[in-house]
Amino acid sequence: MRSRIVAAALAAALPWAGAAAKELRVGYSADIVTLDPANHRSRVTEGAIHNMYDAVLTRTVDMKVVPELAESFRQIDAKTYEMRLRPGVKFHDGSELTVEDIVFTFDRLTKDGAMEGKTSPRKSLVGPVARTVPVDRLTVRFELSAPWPVFPAYLPFNQVVSKAYVEKVGSDGMATRPMGTGPFRFVEWRRGDSVIMERFPDYYGGAADIPPVGPARIDRVIFKIIPEPASRVAALLAGEVDLIDELPHHAIRQVEANPRTKVLKSNGTRSFFIDFNTTRPPFDKVKVRQAANHAVDRKLVIDRILSGLAVPLTTLISPDSFGYNPNLEPWRYDPALARKLLAEAGYPNGVDVTLDVDNPFKEQAEAVAAMLTQVGIRTKVQLWERTALTDLWKDPTRHDRHMFFRSWGDGALDPVGIFVPVLKTKDRGNFSGYANAEVDRLLTAADTEPDQAKRSEYYRKAQAIIREEAPLLFLWLPQDVYGASRKLVDWQPSPRGIVKLHRAALAD
Amino acid sequence: MMRPLALVERLLQLVPVLFGIALVVFLMMQATPGDPVELMLGDALATPEQREALRRDMGLDRPLPERFLLFLGDALTLDFGQSFHHRRPVADVILERLPATIELTLAAMVIAIAVGVPLGVVAAVRRDGWIDRLATILGLAGVSMPGFWLGILLILLFSVQLGWLPVSGRIGFSGEVPPVTGFLLIDTLLAGRPQSFLEALRHLLLPAVTLGLAMAALLMRVTRTSMLEALRQDYVTFATAKGLPRRQVLIRHALRNALTPTVTVAAIETGTLLGGNMIVETVFGWPGLGRLVVEGIFTRNYPLVQAAVLLYAVTYVLLNLAADILQTVLNPKVRL
Repeated sequence: MRSRIVAAALAAALPWAGAAAKELRVGYSADIVTLDPANHRSRVTEGAIHNMYDAVLTRTVDMKVVPELAESFRQIDAKTYEMRLRPGVKFHDGSELTVEDIVFTFDRLTKDGAMEGKTSPRKSLVGPVARTVPVDRLTVRFELSAPWPVFPAYLPFNQVVSKAYVEKVGSDGMATRPMGTGPFRFVEWRRGDSVIMERFPDYYGGAADIPPVGPARIDRVIFKIIPEPASRVAALLAGEVDLIDELPHHAIRQVEANPRTKVLKSNGTRSFFIDFNTTRPPFDKVKVRQAANHAVDRKLVIDRILSGLAVPLTTLISPDSFGYNPNLEPWRYDPALARKLLAEAGYPNGVDVTLDVDNPFKEQAEAVAAMLTQVGIRTKVQLWERTALTDLWKDPTRHDRHMFFRSWGDGALDPVGIFVPVLKTKDRGNFSGYANAEVDRLLTAADTEPDQAKRSEYYRKAQAIIREEAPLLFLWLPQDVYGASRKLVDWQPSPRGIVKLHRAALAD
Repeated sequence: MMRPLALVERLLQLVPVLFGIALVVFLMMQATPGDPVELMLGDALATPEQREALRRDMGLDRPLPERFLLFLGDALTLDFGQSFHHRRPVADVILERLPATIELTLAAMVIAIAVGVPLGVVAAVRRDGWIDRLATILGLAGVSMPGFWLGILLILLFSVQLGWLPVSGRIGFSGEVPPVTGFLLIDTLLAGRPQSFLEALRHLLLPAVTLGLAMAALLMRVTRTSMLEALRQDYVTFATAKGLPRRQVLIRHALRNALTPTVTVAAIETGTLLGGNMIVETVFGWPGLGRLVVEGIFTRNYPLVQAAVLLYAVTYVLLNLAADILQTVLNPKVRL
């Protein structure tokens, strides 16, 4: 009898002891540089940290922004947002989350020198927040110095810390002994090797909009760094890990064929395109640019070179992005039309041009060049070192190159992070020299428009103009590919690239 | 013979060597295209002021000569600045990773010596016998096989197919071993956990073999050649003629003399192992310094790479010195 009581007590104290313990191991491609959510600029690092820390708002798998630590969130005017805190949320040390912690978190992110004399490298991910003010016991206001309608879209990037804990352990402690409100609490960090976490039993349950709400369903999570792709695949096939990121294309068939493993994918956030130098012939003519867009068989390149793991783009906006215009006609592969447009533009005998690319994308660029050449845009590919290219193309009026194969990433999936820098006149990523007053007007209006429906409408209109004027050769958006054990259920990769395992489960 | 003064002289020679290395590494990192700030922020939204602030934070806003002098001055006090990405002192980040690398390097060295030297001796003694032929083939394969390829082959065979050995890491996740020395083989024993010791050993085996094989092949060939040379010497014939047992002739007379070049090669090759670490640590997910440096180079983490390369250089020079000292012990005719 006594031994039975002891056993029961043990079982209660160690709910995951014995055969029932569920441990999920993630084979992770890049190193985790710190465990302090405010002191890095690394998406993989954030991916691990986010299992121990929650944010004010989060995103669903289809990228909708929803409250997480907030119970509600609203915009008051163009420069003011208000959140109501979910009551009763506990930190891993048992203390309760208060508005003080929210204020402290955002002060630490936005104030110069707030991190023991240093400034958070994530400051630019908070936008122009001037002050974070407590209103009452559960309400906080964010006051911005200028309108920034994407503020809610950027809040999921910034996880909430405990004021008392940070003041106790300092920056060094935050880097190595994290303590948040997330579904898992910290156990051990083996530098360069792994981060081990265990289920936090008092977890409030996570975003109310993403079922199921409740504590994590696995007992332990281990993020294990395996940088070499072949070794990462081997670890998955050997059953050493249950989930790997950055599954290399050549291993997809092998992982699919194995009865114990499967392939998971989601659209990424990086758009590929080619800048036309629109400041000089021949790409100063709209018809030549349209011809090039009709000359490329995107599906063929995606199938043959990208293993089918990309979606073709109509403009440079991801289909998952805010403000995406689904009504525009995709670019039809039509070499005859391309030749006709080229002749109409004054090049009946074709034209000779250059395409600049850096080494990793040589193969894709060469495929595009071959297709362009077939319709008379005779393209010579030139290989460069990436940084040299960026320096050269910064000002398209000062060189006589024609095309530049490149990409632009936008983790927030809002046109502010991609449309504006790449196509607004003289913006920081505008290498095509494209300048259109109407597009600029729409983008500027959207920059400060508090009404999200109107903002979306501006972007849709701007995309329609871009689709017509074709300042870029729009290519594709590669997908993120993961390999997983078939036992892993209820986990889907999100375009955000964050591996949050709160709702994941392991089948027996 | 070793004169104490000679040792001091040799150590003093280190100073200009290290200065030269520091300068070259510094200039090479600067000349590598790519701006650390741009690489860190990528395409992300950041105002020019925020970019400038980050640049100031990294100390990149100062002129080049000033940065070099600052780096040099701090390095004298073993302060290598802040790692850009870890945002902690470089010395701390490197020290965390160093034990893993030393453990792997020593294990590879032990394997190389334990395999290479006896095989070389047997191959020389039984010249043209089957062991000799086999050793020659293995030697050629060992020297010419690239480490990353061999590593992946071993993983596919022993981990995926047979399931005998783990793919990556230093130890399993059954429990934390309190770090005392940082060497898991020692710490597990100190903690009184023989099971964990065996586990650490299992993790160490494949990377150590991968790293050590090329060195084993080289040592085998050097030992074989010098052993053949020694066996032809008059004193060996004389010792045999005296009627000394064969074993004694081989070990005390032939091998002792034949080992001199082997020792030199072993010491220098141990320095080369440090370079090989970068590949093997990446393949086996080994949390050591080599991988840290590779990541540092890709992200243009100047302070980290500069400090690590200096560390490599010091180690290499000291290993050479150790080889020279060992020479004087093995062969009293050699003077430092």
